[in-house]
Order: sequence, then structure tokens, then C-alpha cells
Amino acid sequence: MYKLQEEMEEQVEMVGRAFVEHYYHLFDTDRSSLASLYHQSSMLTFEGQKLQGVDDICAKINQLPFDKCHHFISTIDTQPSSFAGGITVFVSGSLRLMCEEHPLRFSQMFHLIPTPQGSFYVQNDIFRLNYG
Amino acid sequence: MDPDALAKAFVEHYYSTFDTNRAGLANLYQESSMLTFEGQKIQGSQNIVNKLTSLPFQQCKHTITTVDCQPSGPAGGMLVLVSGNLQLSGEQHALKFSQMFHLMPTPQGSFYVYNHIFRLNYA
Repeated sequence: MYKLQEEMEEQVEMVGRAFVEHYYHLFDTDRSSLASLYHQSSMLTFEGQKLQGVDDICAKINQLPFDKCHHFISTIDTQPSSFAGGITVFVSGSLRLMCEEHPLRFSQMFHLIPTPQGSFYVQNDIFRLNYG
Repeated sequence: MDPDALAKAFVEHYYSTFDTNRAGLANLYQESSMLTFEGQKIQGSQNIVNKLTSLPFQQCKHTITTVDCQPSGPAGGMLVLVSGNLQLSGEQHALKFSQMFHLMPTPQGSFYVYNHIFRLNYA
């Protein structure tokens, strides 16, 4: 019984980790393609600003005032959520913007929901910079 | 009540209990609750409270900097992202932390913590 639970936990962790790495890779290389990871029901709170739906969310992300950036992930923590098959992921890391000397530290929370096709989409996304 | 106000009220209650009566956190968790504390995974109210009451400091004070919340789905759950400072008595500098809660409603009309993840934010 414990072995099964351990295996399930490992699976959740692998999926959460893979999703997050994919998410930031897209963000850093092809920001507009993040649209594939959000649905109409998705919500983003970005530094306190609330947005809903893939169109508004992608408009916000695409309009952020920098061209190139790179996310460095420090920690990824995952837990299964109460939603069947859902996963909560908590990330901390730093965001380097080209032409900025110092990277920005951030925390971000994702709530991932499975799709019928066997992948995940972001239902909830909350992003905060961590000021020193 | 407005969800943002609810989340803020819950979070304030949580930290006030943590800072004054840590063992009292037991009724904010259930058997199914999960805590990941600085990477360590713990499940169930009893184990979670054992972890929190055995943290290596007597007195502490949480100060909240930001609280963001979103509804998590049709079951009435709420996701909350908190950032703030944790001052331990006797320590000169406060520790910065971020914390994620996933709150689920109880039949009695309040909330309990289903998912909980805590991380210190190092400079």
C-alpha cells in the first residue's frame, strides 16, 4: 500500500517537474506558444493583476516589457490537488532579463488539470516577484 | 463574503494561531492534508502538527507582505499564495518566505488546508 502511494507521489513529482520545465522553456524561447497551455477557464494573477482566459492571459504575457528572458528554477514542489488527477506545483527561482544586471527572484504557483488527450493545462497561475 | 477577503481572513487566522498557539493548527488540517516544508513531505493533521510544533524555535512572528487567491474549481476550493517575513525571537534578521495553501470548504462553512507548501526565500 505504501509502495503504491510512493509510486504515485513520484509520478506526480515527475509530471509536475516536466510540465514546469516545459512551461519556462516555452516562456523563454517562444512566449506566444504558451497559449497551448491555458484554456478559457484559466486564471492568472500576475503581481496582483487578475486575468482570466487564454486570450487575456497571453496578451499580458506577450506584452511584458522585455524581449528576452531566462528563468532559472531553484525549487519545484508538487502535490496532488483535490481535483481528480490535478497537481499543485510551487516554484521558486530567478528571472534574468537581458540588459538587467541583477536577476529578479520569483515565486509561482500552478494548478494543473489533466486534459482528455493525456496532458495538462494550467487552470490557476499565480506569479509574484520576491523583493530582497 | 468576497473570496479575497475570505482568503485574507483565513491566512491571518492561520498565522495568528501559528504565532500564539502552534498546536491549535491541528483543526485547520485533516487526515488527507499534505504539507511540504522546505522539501520535506508530510501527510495528515497529526504528523503535520508534530512537524510544526517541533520546529527549532519557541517564539516567532509572521508578517504578511502579499496574499493572492483564486478559486480552484467547482468544489469551492481556494488557492492562496502568500509571501512575507518570519521573525524568530533572538534572531537579528527576519527570514523571507513564500507559502501556497489550497483550502477546501468544510460542511460547517469554514475551510481546512488540503495542500500546503512552504519555502524560505533566500537572497
